[in-house]
Amino acid sequence: MGTESLTYAVSHRTTLRYTESVGLSFNEVRMRPRDRGSQRTLAFSLLSTPAAVPRSRVDYFGNFVHRVDVTTPHDVLEFAVESVVEHSEPRRRRLPEWSPGVLANDPRLEYALPSPRVPIAERTDSLWRRWNGDDRSFDAVLATAHRIPTELRYLAGATTVESSIADLLDGGAGVCQDFTHLFLAMLRGAGWPARYVSGYLGPTGEATVIEGQSHAWTEVCGADGRWVGIDPTHGQFTGPHHLRLAVGRDYGDVAPHRGLFYGTSAGAAPEVSVRVTRLSHQQVKSVQRSAAVHWQQQQQQQWQVR
Amino acid sequence: MSLPEAADECVEPNGTAREPYATLLSAVLNAPGELPRIRRGAEERFAARGVTFGVPEDGAAPIFPFDPLPRIIGASEWRSLHRALSQRAMALDLFVSDCYGAQRALRHGVVPGRLVYSSTGYLRDIVGIRPPRATWCHVAGIDVVRVMGTFCVLEDNVRVPSGVAYALEARRAMEELVPEWFTTNAVRRIDDYTKRLHRILQRIAPRPWEASIVLLTPGPYNAAYYEHRLLAEEMGATLVEGRELIVSEDEVYRRDADGAIQRVDVIYSRVNSDWLDPLVFRSESMLGAPGVIEAWRRGNVAIANAPGTGVADDKAIYPYVPAMIRYYLGEEPLIDNVPTYDLGDGRQRDHVIAHLEQMVFKPVDASGGYGIHFGRLASALERAELVAMVEAAPRQWLAQEEVALSRALCLRSDGALEPRAVDLRPFVLHDEQPWISPGGLTRVAANPETLVVNSSQGGGSKDTWVLSR
Repeated sequence: MGTESLTYAVSHRTTLRYTESVGLSFNEVRMRPRDRGSQRTLAFSLLSTPAAVPRSRVDYFGNFVHRVDVTTPHDVLEFAVESVVEHSEPRRRRLPEWSPGVLANDPRLEYALPSPRVPIAERTDSLWRRWNGDDRSFDAVLATAHRIPTELRYLAGATTVESSIADLLDGGAGVCQDFTHLFLAMLRGAGWPARYVSGYLGPTGEATVIEGQSHAWTEVCGADGRWVGIDPTHGQFTGPHHLRLAVGRDYGDVAPHRGLFYGTSAGAAPEVSVRVTRLSHQQVKSVQRSAAVHWQQQQQQQWQVR
Repeated sequence: MSLPEAADECVEPNGTAREPYATLLSAVLNAPGELPRIRRGAEERFAARGVTFGVPEDGAAPIFPFDPLPRIIGASEWRSLHRALSQRAMALDLFVSDCYGAQRALRHGVVPGRLVYSSTGYLRDIVGIRPPRATWCHVAGIDVVRVMGTFCVLEDNVRVPSGVAYALEARRAMEELVPEWFTTNAVRRIDDYTKRLHRILQRIAPRPWEASIVLLTPGPYNAAYYEHRLLAEEMGATLVEGRELIVSEDEVYRRDADGAIQRVDVIYSRVNSDWLDPLVFRSESMLGAPGVIEAWRRGNVAIANAPGTGVADDKAIYPYVPAMIRYYLGEEPLIDNVPTYDLGDGRQRDHVIAHLEQMVFKPVDASGGYGIHFGRLASALERAELVAMVEAAPRQWLAQEEVALSRALCLRSDGALEPRAVDLRPFVLHDEQPWISPGGLTRVAANPETLVVNSSQGGGSKDTWVLSR
């Protein structure tokens, strides 16, 4: 790879508070980092409180999913994820354009079609035309990514997790999820397969720790079948500090937690906190490069102690 | 008494009875009081046995409207229909299997990927799963109509096709009310349907030697609830609703009336598959049980029809079934589609808009005859609206040429016979080879003018005879 890799420790906590005790809950969690050429997960653990033995599978999009069934009564459910991820600078490449005839019979066509959260509408198509004219080249893709954060305002709280692309365009402000959905709609309208990436943003520059939320961006696929990450919130290619969790057609496919519970409690909005620390070489050496299945042993120990 | 010529299903152009009907029609014409008596008798019997279609309003659900004059299909005609529908059912099953496997047909451009990937019937969570015996569509109901003397397919139902119980009940009523007709006509029996269905369900069970089978119903508010009850009873299966199922450690159980827990091996599901498991598909679903799909994925329970068959039931994909037959089986289709246009294809859409008055528009994801528009019946304003509707959402609509359905003689309330449009839904049971119950459900339009024969639209049914010689 040639470039120096950076190592990050991620601490991702999700707390669900119910108004009344819940006897039984089923949960699907997508919080294990998803590796690719430039990204490698060195350690991963998932602990739930109350404790449960998670089982894992790989979903349609290739993401890790952990099923966590909690059978002890609880009014607070917490997931604590700790992972250590090594990431080097992803290659910034120009993507070759698709010819429509080729894309029509390619599985990646799926990412050029509308999806539940990303309808392709006249509104986003005309926005593309206004910014780029008839140009659908990769230069226009980059120009669009560059322009989104200048035309729209990043404002935490301006939208919710349920907000639509129309909400973002009407209000003129939103967060990374909204920017990503908008960019996806514009890309797909212009014939580019593009997918939603959920993940974390690590600290850059002098800072070694960043606290906050998870992040979202886009990957675009060229006619050679390669995917390249572009972050429409920052208007540029993704860098080594973009740590991938999961990919899908839109947010609906990658939601970090999806659950179902039995009881009379009102549904709870999860409280999420994320801390990403860039580790020094010293600290990296001390990370035990254990297999990613380590979490299971931990869970079972905790289970037995109780 | 002369026969109306428009009843081309029963009558030759020269006004004489068509050959399979000869014996029956002479018997009927000689005894004019017979048909009204049969209808009264059948309706009393249906009311007593609770044979209903529809949702209870003010207490009782409506009984299934019944026409006493059977629909008859000759032996050789049935043989060719049987071959044609077996071929079609096999291709549909291979298509579903391919969609959840290698997707060869999409890569080779046989079926457009844009239709599969945008189909609400394409369930991403089950891609990669191989169901037991690699069969997906255990039960298919393929609707055929006769146009200019030739059968063609109107639509394929491979999710939860219903109607077989009405065919079985109609036959029982007829055998009881006019036993002599069955001695003078060589009618093939249909009463082994439930036995054959039961055998298929047993064979897909993870533990076939002691398979415990449940029939999963959405409940009494489903229009076909009567059928669910009847099939469960005759197969010795337990009728359950989703809330009675429990999934634990990837095994499925049901709770008995007295609270005991029983293992479930096979679910004959009459719930659409995207309602089966709220954890995987629709989180608002109260009809299924969370965890069922994972249990199925691990082979601990069998489900018929397999989840995901809706992709072959999508009306937007129907135009490509003949191409599937050529691709998967290397054969020419033995039965044609009604001419149908894929509105997502610009050239086909232009053709449809230019010939609007010849077209019927159906929503791709509805059933029961709801939301259908006839171009011929639309005013100028409504035609403009149809064009706007199709252009705004081409994926949501299917355009078929309006065809003149064949008409069978039906008994009017005043005792006269009149021709009404009919279709036929044969039921295909698919194990290693398809098997088709001789006959099926013949549906009759509610009045002589309409071409919509759906039971949800007030149409009725007839007993359907297939002659053995």
